[in-house]
Amino acid sequence: MARERWGSRLGVILAVAGSAVGLGNFLRSPGIAAQNGGGTFMIPYFVCFFLLGLPLMWIEWTIGRFGGGFEHSTAPGIFHTLWRKNRFIKYFGVIGIFGPTVIFIYYTYIESWLLGYSVFALTGKYASCTDQAGMQEFLRGYQGLADNPHFGGIGTAYLFFLITFALNILVVCVGLRGGIERVCKWGLLVLFVMAIVIAVRVLTLGTPDAAKPDWNPIAGLGFLWNPQWDKLKDANVWLAAAGQIFFTLSAGFGVILTYASYLTKQDDVTLSGLTAAATNEVAEVILGGSIMIPAAFAFIGPQQMQTIVKQGLFDLGFVTMPLVFEKIGWGQYFAFMWFFLLFLAGLTSSISLALPAIAFLEDEFTLTRREAATVFAVATFILIQPVIFFLGNGVLDEMDFWGTSVCLVVFATIEAILFGWVFGMDRAWTEMHKGSDLRIPGVYRWIIKYITPLMLIAILGAWAWQGWKNKMMMTDVNPADKPLVLITRIGLGGLFVFLILMVWIVWKRRPKTTNPQEEQP
Amino acid sequence: MTISGWIFMLISWAVILGLFIFSMVRTLRPGDKSPNHKKSGFSESAF
Repeated sequence: MARERWGSRLGVILAVAGSAVGLGNFLRSPGIAAQNGGGTFMIPYFVCFFLLGLPLMWIEWTIGRFGGGFEHSTAPGIFHTLWRKNRFIKYFGVIGIFGPTVIFIYYTYIESWLLGYSVFALTGKYASCTDQAGMQEFLRGYQGLADNPHFGGIGTAYLFFLITFALNILVVCVGLRGGIERVCKWGLLVLFVMAIVIAVRVLTLGTPDAAKPDWNPIAGLGFLWNPQWDKLKDANVWLAAAGQIFFTLSAGFGVILTYASYLTKQDDVTLSGLTAAATNEVAEVILGGSIMIPAAFAFIGPQQMQTIVKQGLFDLGFVTMPLVFEKIGWGQYFAFMWFFLLFLAGLTSSISLALPAIAFLEDEFTLTRREAATVFAVATFILIQPVIFFLGNGVLDEMDFWGTSVCLVVFATIEAILFGWVFGMDRAWTEMHKGSDLRIPGVYRWIIKYITPLMLIAILGAWAWQGWKNKMMMTDVNPADKPLVLITRIGLGGLFVFLILMVWIVWKRRPKTTNPQEEQP
Repeated sequence: MTISGWIFMLISWAVILGLFIFSMVRTLRPGDKSPNHKKSGFSESAF
């Protein structure tokens, strides 16, 4: 069976950019910047972008294309081709399937809320909520966390979840060109247009309340951008910037690896990697920074903004933004655009999260795309149920911790070391520039070999030191929820062991040498 | 917003837009592909 390929160069770039542009670009990033020094946050942010984000992008694109040449689309097979002499390295590659799958499990559910809210915005379902407390109650009712007049139970949320889940599986099932590539091309185009329209409307709001002339969107931009120089000396700010670059570019998840594996050996990876990263930055810094904080600031003012930003911007997106839009002309349409652009950002990310596990089943168990997608759909559908029904009991947070914080940084560190040190910088450099349309500056040989892995090890150490101990010991978890969180943890451990067993079975069944070229590394 | 806030915002936007325009223009520019690229499976149409 012929290997699937991308239809166009822009298609693969937008698919990778679509994977990177997610909810975090609009709901997480502006808050992180505002909390960590405002304008001065951009100094560590850009340093981390050029020393950590871009190199990781190029590493994932390059080793993905390399592995694809040996008919491998996922990390176990790709790591094995990079270091054939080591028989254990393929098991480390399991992280590149486990992480995206775990994130897919809870991300799809959150994504479905956005579809629900898009519909509610048009139908005026939450129009009776006139303050933050009312909107908060509406959200809790929707999530099934409280009984209130808005919702009789979790039925509505479950319906939107089923639609979102089916849509995700359908897109992946249709295939690379007709499904993922088409959705990402049009999805990102619509997302950018909607974001620009909302940003222009927000920035031209003027002063909504004449009695409070300082509450306006430009002052909101100041809340985000005014520099706080003393923050530059704070190591936590640098750590936050590194973490943000990690999350935003989707580098270190294993999804770019899989996307790039469908390139041919002569397709460019250097310019494509840069273009995908730059597209994500436009969405995050320019569009993401020009919507939520300026809009909310104009209506709720600096003091309340300060409190909300410290709690994280997630509630601001679901609770404050609908109230803001209710107060402007054509508000329901702007609210629809806001939630629908977030839904599209979520969709283009979640389909990329589903692909590694499906591609693994296709490549290593020779299933068809439809069979692999069905197996994946059944398994993840079952695993999502605890997230839906025990949402308020810490299940989602536990999955987020293992899927994002742990897997991401561990996987990226392994990748960087494998690329620069095991595969070897000379070979890596040559491989990177095969068919390339952009010559990467020579200094990046040094950065990729030394700086990027060192930064990753430092982040790994700092995160482990700062927060992992509390998380591992569940000190932040409500005592009543601890058994459920523990069961989730054991379940995730079971899934990881199951994936390792699958890799073991695949390699046991495989002839010793399948391709003489694979002996080269 | 203070002057330094404007400066930080405009410089950041300029760096990002510059990078985006540079990479997008080079990506979409026809006929400037390396010889190897012609062997690839990509079609030239963007949409």
